[in-house]
Amino acid sequence: MKTTRREILFFAGGSAVGILMTPAPWRLITDTALWSENWPGIPRPARGAITARYTNCALCAAGCAVRARCVAEQPVSLAGVAGHPLSHGALCAYGLAGHHLPYHPARVTRGSEREAMAAVTAAMDRLAGNEHMAVLDLRPGRTASWTYRRAMAAVKNGVYVAAGGALANAAIDLSKARTVLSLGVPLLEDWGTPGNVMAARAGFHLIQADAVESRTAVMADQWLRIKAGSEEALGQGILQALGGQTPVAAAEATGIAEQQFLALAGELRQNGPALVLGGARSKSAAQLNDALGALGRTIVVRREAPVPDAWKKAAPAVDLASVEDGSIRVLLIDESAPGAYLPWSAVEPKLVRDNPVVVTLGWTRDGYGRHAQYLVPAGVYPEVTDDLPPAVDSVAATFRMSVPLVQAPEGVVKPEEWIARAAGLQVGDTLRERADAVHRAGRGTLFTYAGGKSVAAKDVKIDDFWKALQAGACWMDEVEPARRPAAVKVAAGATRQAADLTDDLPLVVVLTEAPSSPLLSKIYQESNLKLGPEQVAIHPLEARAAGVEDGARAVLETLAGRIDVEVRVDAGVPLGAVLVASRPAVLDVCGAGVGAKVVRA
Amino acid sequence: MISEIKPIHPARYGMTIDVDRCNGCGACMVACAVENNVPPAHEGANDRKGLTWLRVYKVDNGEEYPNHRTAFVPVMCQQCNHDTPCVHVCPQQAVDLDPATGVVGQMAERCLGCRYCMAACPYHARYFNWWDPAWPKGMEKTLNPDVTPRMRGVVEKCNFCHGRWHAAKQLAAAAEKPAGEPVEYTPACVEACPTGAIRFGDLNNAASEPARAAKEAESFRLLEKLGTETKVYYRSKREWVREMAQAPRPDQIRKEIARG
Amino acid sequence: MDKDFITRGVQRSTPSRFFLWMAPWVAMLGFGLYSAGLCLIKGLNQTNMDNRFAFGLWIFLDLTVIALGAGAFFTGFLVYILKIEELKSVINSAVVIGLVCYSGAVCVLMVDVGQPLRAWFTFWYPNVHSMLTEVTFCISCYLIVLAIEYMPIVLKNRKLRQVPSFLVLEFQLHKLVYVLAGVGTFLSFFHQGSLGGLYGVLRGRPFAFREGLALWPSTFFLFIISAAAVGPSFIVLTTWMVEKITKKRLVRPGVLELLGRISGLMLAVYVLAKSVDTLIWINRTSPEVGFPAWQYYSWNPFGTWILFLEIVVFGLAPALILLTPALRLRRGWLVSAAAMACLGVALNRFVMTVQTLAMPTLSFDKFLWYTPSWQETGTFLAVVAYGVLVYSFSFRYLQLFPDERMLNTEVKTEEVKTEEVENPREMTRRY
Repeated sequence: MKTTRREILFFAGGSAVGILMTPAPWRLITDTALWSENWPGIPRPARGAITARYTNCALCAAGCAVRARCVAEQPVSLAGVAGHPLSHGALCAYGLAGHHLPYHPARVTRGSEREAMAAVTAAMDRLAGNEHMAVLDLRPGRTASWTYRRAMAAVKNGVYVAAGGALANAAIDLSKARTVLSLGVPLLEDWGTPGNVMAARAGFHLIQADAVESRTAVMADQWLRIKAGSEEALGQGILQALGGQTPVAAAEATGIAEQQFLALAGELRQNGPALVLGGARSKSAAQLNDALGALGRTIVVRREAPVPDAWKKAAPAVDLASVEDGSIRVLLIDESAPGAYLPWSAVEPKLVRDNPVVVTLGWTRDGYGRHAQYLVPAGVYPEVTDDLPPAVDSVAATFRMSVPLVQAPEGVVKPEEWIARAAGLQVGDTLRERADAVHRAGRGTLFTYAGGKSVAAKDVKIDDFWKALQAGACWMDEVEPARRPAAVKVAAGATRQAADLTDDLPLVVVLTEAPSSPLLSKIYQESNLKLGPEQVAIHPLEARAAGVEDGARAVLETLAGRIDVEVRVDAGVPLGAVLVASRPAVLDVCGAGVGAKVVRA
Repeated sequence: MISEIKPIHPARYGMTIDVDRCNGCGACMVACAVENNVPPAHEGANDRKGLTWLRVYKVDNGEEYPNHRTAFVPVMCQQCNHDTPCVHVCPQQAVDLDPATGVVGQMAERCLGCRYCMAACPYHARYFNWWDPAWPKGMEKTLNPDVTPRMRGVVEKCNFCHGRWHAAKQLAAAAEKPAGEPVEYTPACVEACPTGAIRFGDLNNAASEPARAAKEAESFRLLEKLGTETKVYYRSKREWVREMAQAPRPDQIRKEIARG
Repeated sequence: MDKDFITRGVQRSTPSRFFLWMAPWVAMLGFGLYSAGLCLIKGLNQTNMDNRFAFGLWIFLDLTVIALGAGAFFTGFLVYILKIEELKSVINSAVVIGLVCYSGAVCVLMVDVGQPLRAWFTFWYPNVHSMLTEVTFCISCYLIVLAIEYMPIVLKNRKLRQVPSFLVLEFQLHKLVYVLAGVGTFLSFFHQGSLGGLYGVLRGRPFAFREGLALWPSTFFLFIISAAAVGPSFIVLTTWMVEKITKKRLVRPGVLELLGRISGLMLAVYVLAKSVDTLIWINRTSPEVGFPAWQYYSWNPFGTWILFLEIVVFGLAPALILLTPALRLRRGWLVSAAAMACLGVALNRFVMTVQTLAMPTLSFDKFLWYTPSWQETGTFLAVVAYGVLVYSFSFRYLQLFPDERMLNTEVKTEEVKTEEVENPREMTRRY
């Protein structure tokens, strides 16, 4: 029997209707719901035992206490430690996402470790009489810094350069201040220990002198809108007013009325104790603090945490500027602990002309890795063990460590160990030695994060002391009785530097940002809250003059170089200034004392 | 859908946000993203296409210096309690107002991505996944197991850290507390805020901070006249901040546009 | 070559000329499908829509084409329910336009949503409070109705009707046509209205929010009336265009004028209702929630000129033209007025979608711009190309205009008459 076309069609039609009566097509349809929930590429969070581990944040000198929520030993979120005497449970936006840094796309795990060591050794042998081997430490004051100083003492002509110059011997006591005048210092923006600043905030009247409407200016009790770059002039003017003179020149330079100078001087004098905060190079801040009697009251002496006696044979910490030009043959840079970045234009002249060896130890190529011959990959928070120097507003000396919460990958080195090895210095477990020295001093309190309790350090056994520090704790020295320090060196804290006025736009540089997790895009890319790494902000009229609009790509041009940026138009930036979010590449071009302008790309 | 089942002791979780204390640090925004597995921005994302369940806005009073004043306002889903706009408009009931907690929940698995709810929300508190979520290699290890990562093409928003509420509920059940009683927990942004500007609690509990703050004269809600009965109360001693919370001010925006 | 498929008695161009006509539209369709493919594969980041402009070009154009395709249901209503027989000239064309508009809109919607595979969720987990659920159900059902209405037109094809069962099927379907027309009208009433209701219920957008009757905001009714008004106008426009392109007379005299008159009447009702509604909105609805209406028009470029344009220039003016018999008879005036009516409805849909979203709600919102990306434009061009292709195909092989043969054979009859005089003997051979 021949099958007709009609029969085939009937069969097909019948099957179609029949299939609809089976679960098959309906099942396929409902399965689309499952497919659409489980697209490949959507990660599944790992599960595991949930524990809490403690450490100190290493992203800036504040070293805030951190409680990490860990799932099967992997930190998944961070929070502050409530009740901490300094950080008071606060953690900034960077610290909250610090556990992402080991997976940052810019992170390097491969470098030229062996070649670097070979080059250093060879260059050390060739050191001429007046040439130096130097270590540049971006975060001085650590135990590792002592190791570098000892290493440089052990080699011929070794120099230890502390970014920021001589080590701090004084701290700022905000709790004692009743009136604070900030000359452009971003006091309320991640300065010092944010939790401490906030705890003390209610106790003082803040006058913020700022060219830009910064967050500190917004939150201050009074915002003095000065012309960009005139912070020093303001300081000098107030000094004159304190001395009974009329600050004519200062009024001209800052745009503040003469009457206001007199009012400010009166306020500072009458509503003391006063405190004046200035940039790293601010002479007038130092002079004002002297005149207002801040030394000994709001600026106090702070000794360092005890150090083993054996370490006292160490090179002194010097400023980069004091090193002779063209004298460094071997430069080792520890940029693993982020701190102030010195522009390459300040470093390069110190190197010898012919074949200097520059090795940088860092976790990303974005810093000195762009200039150095060798990049040796280092660990990054929270993989490393490192201690934190006390913050600028920590009145007592502290000893606290950032301890590893995850394992560092293969191939990364510990900078302290590497530099010691390069210099031929034998070191043991320096942090243990330091902790023991601290414990032996027999003073101070130990605050453990897990329990949230403070005990006297001498009531704790030496081994338990070390164990507690490794599990997340902080040792705080006794506060010395207030005395007026002879010569004061306060750590830079965080600063905003403005250039001298030139025909070009003076630059207003945003404070150095801590290393940012990719998630920080919430703040500067997915919202306009902060200026992102590649962004500059200029006044709308400036933008129009330069022919750029909001969001356009442009070029920032300075006397030192050019850099590609994205322009944001912000009426809060004064006419004649450029606000820049700093990172090493930007600081190379816009370092201190450089005027800048924005040109269309 | 609004469930018909009424719990015995419903909670009505709300917030009180002190605008005078917020310093615009953005810690809350980052903590929220960490807790809720929000991916970092795609290269092409900007503030109009990003995923910021909580977003801090910088607002000012429109005056020139020295009368210029600025404030920072954190805005998340306001958890509208009355005629919740997004609940009514979702065509496949992917949004619901939970009678037990008062939280407006968003089901990413049900969402079609039609974005009607985004058009309905006057607070711009809803965000769409314009891209596939992507984390840098290795960073997916840091995801929170209590929250599902979403896929592209769906809408998401703040849900007062519902994962933390679930965890608190489980703890309460394990401690054999009576089911149906409200639990206490802390959303990520509240925990992270370094100035304590954001406070959280049960509005049905008269002793909680939001309940007390709601009664004060300096408290206000965004766009109150719309009648959405939001559960996020803001407070400020400054009159201009309270005014700013109401309808748009074209004359002030015009000034901004004139300034550039 | 395809002569057997072409209706007897009408003239169509040669296959190669037809191919030349279709080729650019096929190319446009190809480009459009590529754009749509990009959006489906790479995601909606290919568009310029963002969190503020959650709806963009596609939704605006979807609403517009659905309003323009309303001619299908309205003409069906007029022909089969109100028994206005003259409109039988255009009913088939209207059905094809409707089918093309609705199927095109649904295809664009599938690209517009973030998770197209979940489209069936609305049917399985419907939210009875949501206007969009209503729209989804009604449009899906109506698309089925249109497909069923299209079937007899297809089955009447010269070759297909040779299959006896198709002929029987077509005959049976034709008996259903009154039911279909009724169902179609009912469904269209609701979905055209619900499309308006989509925006009218947005309590959070005082620019769009309207008071109304029970569940339904005034925009529900305004959208129905405007759709009914513009449906006939669009048929006038398309019929005129097809006549121009094919160089044939396709409809009986008076049909287009009748359509114009109906459109003018509905348009006049619409303008009246819209003006009343606007006044209530300006004076009561919007100010009551703290949004004084003048505010909306202080954002450049959306000044009060847009309101004026929508209601007066593209609303009242075409209504008056279409209601004036003398002007209606002049083809130029008729077609221009019809085009203006269509533009007016498009402008109204634009205002309700894009302008609504551009309006700030929070005081710290900025007024933002939106321009569609090329992928969005491409996807929409795919719909246009698809429409032209389906319509061209239908026009070539199906009897879209029943009067065509009669109108164009009249000429031939005259020719025969003259030949009769010349060659009486040839005449007998012809028959």
